[in-house]
Amino acid sequence: MKKKVTLTVNGEEHEIEIEANRLLLQVLRDTLGLTGTKEGCSIGVCGACSVIIDGRVVSSCLTLAAACAGKKIETIEGLAEDGRLHPLQQAFIEYGGFQCGICTPGQIMAAKSLLDENPKPTEDEVKEWMSGNLCRCTGYYKILEAVMAVVNNKIDPDFAFRKREQTAKIQSLDVYKSVAKTN
Amino acid sequence: MAKAEKFSVVGQRVQRIEGFDKVTGDSQFIADIYLPNMLVGKILRSPFPHARIRGIDTSKAEKLRGVRAVVTAEDTIKRPWGAFFADQYILSVGKTRYVGEEVAAVAAVDPDIAEEAIDLIEVDWEPLPGVFDAEEAMQDGAPLVHDDKANNVAMTMDIERGNIVQAFAESDVVVEDTFVSMPQWHCSIETIGSVAEYAPNGKYTIYMNTQTLFNARYRIATALGVPETDVRIIQSAVGGGFGGKSCDDNNALVAAVLARKAGKPVKLINTREEEFLAGCRPRVFMKINVRLGFKKDGRIRAKHIKVIADNGAYSAKAPAITGVAAMRHDTCYKYSDVKTEAVLVYTNKIPTGAFRGFGNPSAEWAVEQAIDLGAHELGIDPIEIARINAAETGYVSPHGNRVNSCELKQCLDMAEKMMDWKSKRAGKQPNTGLGLACTVHVSGKRHFGDYDGSSATIKLNEDGKALILSGEGECGQGVHTAMCQIAAEELGVPVEDVEISRADTDLTTFCLGAFASRLTYVSGNAVKNAAANVKQQLFEQASEMLEANAEDLVSHDGRIFVRGAEGKSVSVSDVARARLFRHNGAPIVGSGSFDADSVLPDSTRFGNESGAYNYGVQAAQVHVDPETGQVKILYFVIASDCGTVIYPLGAEGQVEGGLSQGIGYALTEGLQIDEGKPLNPNFSDYRIPSMRDMPPLQHAFADSYEPTGPFGAKGLGELNMDPTAAVISNAIFDAVGVRIKTLPITPEKILKALREKAALEKAKT
Repeated sequence: MKKKVTLTVNGEEHEIEIEANRLLLQVLRDTLGLTGTKEGCSIGVCGACSVIIDGRVVSSCLTLAAACAGKKIETIEGLAEDGRLHPLQQAFIEYGGFQCGICTPGQIMAAKSLLDENPKPTEDEVKEWMSGNLCRCTGYYKILEAVMAVVNNKIDPDFAFRKREQTAKIQSLDVYKSVAKTN
Repeated sequence: MAKAEKFSVVGQRVQRIEGFDKVTGDSQFIADIYLPNMLVGKILRSPFPHARIRGIDTSKAEKLRGVRAVVTAEDTIKRPWGAFFADQYILSVGKTRYVGEEVAAVAAVDPDIAEEAIDLIEVDWEPLPGVFDAEEAMQDGAPLVHDDKANNVAMTMDIERGNIVQAFAESDVVVEDTFVSMPQWHCSIETIGSVAEYAPNGKYTIYMNTQTLFNARYRIATALGVPETDVRIIQSAVGGGFGGKSCDDNNALVAAVLARKAGKPVKLINTREEEFLAGCRPRVFMKINVRLGFKKDGRIRAKHIKVIADNGAYSAKAPAITGVAAMRHDTCYKYSDVKTEAVLVYTNKIPTGAFRGFGNPSAEWAVEQAIDLGAHELGIDPIEIARINAAETGYVSPHGNRVNSCELKQCLDMAEKMMDWKSKRAGKQPNTGLGLACTVHVSGKRHFGDYDGSSATIKLNEDGKALILSGEGECGQGVHTAMCQIAAEELGVPVEDVEISRADTDLTTFCLGAFASRLTYVSGNAVKNAAANVKQQLFEQASEMLEANAEDLVSHDGRIFVRGAEGKSVSVSDVARARLFRHNGAPIVGSGSFDADSVLPDSTRFGNESGAYNYGVQAAQVHVDPETGQVKILYFVIASDCGTVIYPLGAEGQVEGGLSQGIGYALTEGLQIDEGKPLNPNFSDYRIPSMRDMPPLQHAFADSYEPTGPFGAKGLGELNMDPTAAVISNAIFDAVGVRIKTLPITPEKILKALREKAALEKAKT
């Protein structure tokens, strides 16, 4: 039996028709095309599917989509604004808080939910909180470092991602112009 | 010898090139690939560890609405395949040999229908007696896993260098013990998956999250019975590899067979349970007996190692892994007389295979504990035993491994200092102890054909920006960033001006892929050579523009200068454009190859297996609670010799991540299996370390330079997984005087050992 549901994801309302047994993870990925939320273990242990619902971090692999109607859902896709990364996203790049990156959206959402509520957690509080998000690549040191960098305001204010120096002005148009001229 | 060299890009803390996509969720992993009309695949797996298949009835499944294809072995050419021995099929032929083996599969319009169709397939099973222990499997009369493998033996080795009997006779102290290691799963947070398409001209296109594309293409083409050209592998982003995604499993093959039959793309992603049962091939189970002979002064005089390796039902890379376990460590210390015996045995369990370390963690778990036993027997500080025996630059191992660069002694000094070893040892506290182990690994290994090389192409765009085309496997470790740095350094351009393509067997040249810690070294050299080729073409063009000889030109910061007259220069982009937009113009494309100066080992496995050897030392201080058996790692230090560090963020990440897998291997990760059926195939019962499990860590890289490496670099990826379990066990022994010889080291085992020790001491008094 399909059911009409309105989901508010990253501030945008989506009116969808879904089976009552669809999980939020499946709806985000397969129905809404928001594939930034990942499936890791399917039993709510690894944290790869972490999203924030009404301010609380939850495993979307254990959450029925229909039960989220009327609630505020935040996913990794909603973090960057106008191409500007969220401080946590920036810190993960600056401090190397990922390797393969499959757990990264979940790690960042978990950290965001903590910092939204408690902007100045201690290192031990971060460790305890983040222990629900498994990572097999990093050994967690650089994830912790990235989160603490945001807590302690140690991220680069002039950050730019792989910004290119303009080693030469863009001249290809000039080339074509001269070709046009000879014609 | 270390060599100071100034680099402008190499060694800089550059950003990971995929960084933006990774933190925004934009990175396209295998599950994120959706093709038009794509179907979902599902596999019917064997519930029995050993059973004959009398028949399969798929008719009910085929009739279910929404089902587009149902396949069994009858839809394949039934040609066995495998990395070293051809012993497995795409789908079971006649019988199944382990719980989870692929028997049949369906493709349907949605996952629920696929699941329902699987339940409608009827298999007429005849369960057979199974064999689950390697030593039992070798007994006469044991059930045979493969009918043509007498006593279930897949492979044996018996190699002696020098004279082992004489060497033990000349030893002052002899120690011997047996150590059992467990299989360990890769537990990449992304499971194995693929999306396969089939075109009517006979070509398969398969998106895979594999770390070894061309090896995958070769094996898939073999099993499907088509030429390599008819299989195109396109790599998705890979969510962790660690050896598990090196195509020893059937996932992509089943997807390909389904796609051909359905005539539509098929997506097949392992569930977490499937990943444990039959996805990535876990570390080989090993029982290793080590006997070491020492001279009074601590020198190792003789080593005899006997390995019993449990293959599981199919071999994959286990033959090579067993060889590594039996021999690799002989490049760590200066050995003269060694004997190694190994047997690899089939059982009705999950097939084992490649996992970070490739036999080395099992071997170091045993050998580095035996060395610790020797140190205690001799009354010499374990760090001194290591120092006395440590390999050095110029060492040639008994098996012919030639070491061009080795900073193991420097690593020992660094570890000693970071741990404050001497004073902690002198001021030993109750239930607190120190442990240490050394490690060696390769930078590539010559075993797939007589080739351990790589190739790369670099395309220079008309704006002067470079694109590397490489078919090697970035699997999350960050090697693409290191490759961009190497190209940028050679070209003399900023790293931001270099990009790299995703690997695709149709578009990139032949590469073996990510294994044996080879990419920075082998593919780094190929990329460097390709960049040198591009630079040569740039300099030819620039020499006209600058009216100077090409030999007199240098490049840095994106410009080409005349040496000695630095006022005279031209930008790389101007040169690239000038080369193209003119009569007889041509874009600049450079190619480069590299094949390591190694030797394909002979029939006695003698021969320099790798182009370079990387070294390291780990040490731990632990506390053991005698009431609960709980181990707390108080402090951990790591010193690594990987030559020049190209990409520091990535290199540090390899060390830290390797340690976390090593700690899991040592303390928590272990298969629970009953009559061939895994009991803990999920993340709640198979526990990998979380953030709170990681100890305080200090690590450092040795000042080192590998003369054959790109800008002096060599491998690193596996090094820091290898010795950790032995380090922790040695520290526990130092703390409380008990040694746990079977992994993982659980509190229960420690408590039991402490009680036995107490009872023994009481009996003595």
